[in-house]
Amino acid sequence: MRKFILSLAVLALVSLALADGHAFVWPNAWTANPGEAVYGGTLRFSDIEDPRTLNPFVRAEANAVLDLADDDGAALITRGPDSDVWLPYAAKSFTVSEDNTVVDVVLRDGIKWSDGTPVTIQDYMFRYLAETDPDVGSNAYDSWFIGDEQILLEATGEDSLRFTFPKPDRIAFPVVALLPAPDHILGEVYRAGGAEALIAEWGTEVDVASTVWTSPWVPVAFTPGERVIFERNEYWGEWNVDEAGNALPYLDTVVSNIVESTDAELNLFLAGELDLFAPQNLDQVGLINVAVQNGDIDATVLENVSPVASSQFIVFNWNMASNPFKQELFRSVNFRRAMSHLVDRPAIIELVYGGSASAMWSNVYQVLDFWVNNDVPRYSYDPEEAARLLAEIGFGSTNDDGILIDAEGNELGFTLATNSGNSQREQILQIFADSAREIGVNAETSALDFNLLVDQLLSTGEDRPFDAILIGLRGGSRDWPFGSNVIPCGTNLHMYNTSGECLTPEETRMTELYYQGRETLDTEAAREIGLEIQRIQAELQPQIYTVSPAAHGAWLNRVGGQHPDGLINTIVGFRELPLTFQRP
Amino acid sequence: MLPFIIRRFFHLIPTFIGSTLLAFIISQLVPGDFLSQKALEPNVRPETIERLRERFGLNQAWYVQYFRWMGNIAQGDLGLSFDSNQPVINLIARPIRNSMYLVILSIVMLWAVAIPLGVYSAVRQYSLGDQLVSAVSYFGLAIPNFFFAQVLILAIFLLRGYTGEWFGFNKLLLPVAQMTSTNHLNLSPIRQFLDIFWHMLMPAFVVATSGIAGFTRVLRGQMLEHLGSDFIRTARAKGLGKRSVTYKHALRPAIIPFVAGIGGLLPALIGGAGLVEIVVSWPGITPTFLEAIRQQDIYVVLGLLVISSLLLMVGNLISDLLLAVVDPRIRYG
Repeated sequence: MRKFILSLAVLALVSLALADGHAFVWPNAWTANPGEAVYGGTLRFSDIEDPRTLNPFVRAEANAVLDLADDDGAALITRGPDSDVWLPYAAKSFTVSEDNTVVDVVLRDGIKWSDGTPVTIQDYMFRYLAETDPDVGSNAYDSWFIGDEQILLEATGEDSLRFTFPKPDRIAFPVVALLPAPDHILGEVYRAGGAEALIAEWGTEVDVASTVWTSPWVPVAFTPGERVIFERNEYWGEWNVDEAGNALPYLDTVVSNIVESTDAELNLFLAGELDLFAPQNLDQVGLINVAVQNGDIDATVLENVSPVASSQFIVFNWNMASNPFKQELFRSVNFRRAMSHLVDRPAIIELVYGGSASAMWSNVYQVLDFWVNNDVPRYSYDPEEAARLLAEIGFGSTNDDGILIDAEGNELGFTLATNSGNSQREQILQIFADSAREIGVNAETSALDFNLLVDQLLSTGEDRPFDAILIGLRGGSRDWPFGSNVIPCGTNLHMYNTSGECLTPEETRMTELYYQGRETLDTEAAREIGLEIQRIQAELQPQIYTVSPAAHGAWLNRVGGQHPDGLINTIVGFRELPLTFQRP
Repeated sequence: MLPFIIRRFFHLIPTFIGSTLLAFIISQLVPGDFLSQKALEPNVRPETIERLRERFGLNQAWYVQYFRWMGNIAQGDLGLSFDSNQPVINLIARPIRNSMYLVILSIVMLWAVAIPLGVYSAVRQYSLGDQLVSAVSYFGLAIPNFFFAQVLILAIFLLRGYTGEWFGFNKLLLPVAQMTSTNHLNLSPIRQFLDIFWHMLMPAFVVATSGIAGFTRVLRGQMLEHLGSDFIRTARAKGLGKRSVTYKHALRPAIIPFVAGIGGLLPALIGGAGLVEIVVSWPGITPTFLEAIRQQDIYVVLGLLVISSLLLMVGNLISDLLLAVVDPRIRYG
């Protein structure tokens, strides 16, 4: 999908080339229906979480107001669904220094807040100051640091800003996609009353009409627990147009309904009261298909669009000083490869996900196909090979109970836990335990409270209180798909070994490669490093990856403007809302 | 009566402290805290989590947290939500109001259906109708509300298939989720009221069904007891009509336990309609409560518990007082 070679030096040239016009042009390539759009209409979708705040500095998670009003605002740079190349957006242009540590940005003219106030570099400076103030406690705080060194932002002119990075960094670069925050409203509060006054602003009781935004639609009515209604922001169309030069967005109104369960979302979609819906499983897809066949709704359903952006794996504990037998066992690479041979991924895909999932072999989410190494060694389901590997490490015979034992009579067994309430994970454990039992490995399964499980997983030191855990991770970026807390030794999500130091040469190597890749801004070169990390990790099997479920999508055909075929996945989504329209 | 009320009021204080202490200790026994989930994010620094833990006071001993919280409650402040940095009262006021709508309608439905059914069952004891009422009301008691709501939603969708086929009417007869329509804010006040009422019908009916069995059985028992008593025989002997005997003489004393129980409805009003609210996405107290528990946003959870225990205590007091009002045999000194 991504046939591009990117270095930021090239990027800067691209950015200058696109910056000729006054407005940002939304390409026809981002919609399946170029030229068909008409103005007017309403889009109705749903959000599962009731927004707990309208304050961008307080938000901690998905938020039906801020997802649209803040996130889709005037970021300095942006990316389209068709490539990872950064484009100047609220910036007229940007340039990157040769050593990749300084980014200079010039702000586009004519961008306004929804109250008509012009957006200036002060709005970006204010956002930076507030986000880097530890007392504000913004979720974005950590993104402004590389290690312990802070990324700096300064105004270099009336309409220009400079980002200075302590060193080149792939993960940190996206901070350049900085959003503005209204200096003339929240900035004044911050200067007068400090962090405490700032985070007390714009709670859910605020009159939304008094809030200002730079997004295509702005909230005009918010009823907690029910819905948010957004109306077109006329100022936005002054600097956002389609290829024909028409002001965007097309839709007059966007309604986000707060629906607390996916079953209720499905019911509303089947009732024709929601335009967009993401089926959670094949049962829901089936119900929609029936409704379409019966003529109850006119909808498009996409099954197995792409894998979800998350991972699921089994991790064995390498720090068990009080149980040397298990510690040695779990540190044995042959043991872990044998365990991978016991994960019946095809059975999991069929039985747990009804065929709607794909096997995972490396630590990069399947959906990030540009980064995934498809040539890593695969220790696929093969109980005989598992038995052979276990015999190699001394487990060649069984006791009266049919459990494999070593020369000292130690039984090959462990407890494998996951979080309770996740029925799919519990089923995966059972399938694994059944395959293990067949060759004499006694895997006892247990389901623990999520926080208890996390406490066990994040415990540190030489002796940690668990054998093995099945868990998943979400998050991470398409710029460098490895977590800063996951790969390097000594970090808190280096789950198999939290002793604080690397125990194997492979961990040391992966740690080196991780930092090397982050500092390599040439994407192709970074990808090579990423492939090597995956190869080492697949051979070492510190985490045994299982399967990645697939995502589905559906929408009523009264709306158009979704991404063209091939540009739909769980990273870039189904559509660009400004290019979405309602059919007459 | 006044000394009784004052004495009862002072009894409330230790009860209140005991219940909040118990709730607080239980909330502390749960593993992890509000920041545990954040610790699993691949790019969040552990120092950040520690800093937030300090800011929220989560690194202090539980009793320090408890006394600080109680100190705030004494000043009428339920604390701040970790998640949204807003006063808890702002977060829970609206869901409580929304739940009340649903619960009040369901109580009205319950009384409107259960009183005639209870009287009918008592007057026609062991008749086919009595058996039928018992069977149907026990069905309502036995079927879990969340499941019954889903069955009704399915029925509404199935009905659309039939009406579509037979009459070309391809719309749902009742809404299947939410409290209001998308265009709610553009409606006139009276249409807004009808809009909410229309959305309430199905979930309120579901909540009412679970209470019908208990209510009719108790009322039937009360009625039978009174119908067999001397004063009813006297009334009949005086030549009063059947309707007058049943409704004026037997039902009045039979209904006393229910009137006295009205105080107990107070906490139920804010307790919400349970999982039915989740099934139909009603923006009531249950989704708020469950979300706060999931996130371990403890002051939201505790704020709700404080309000319900206060209402429970006040409700009990009101019940006792009402009992004296409706039953002349009871006197407080």
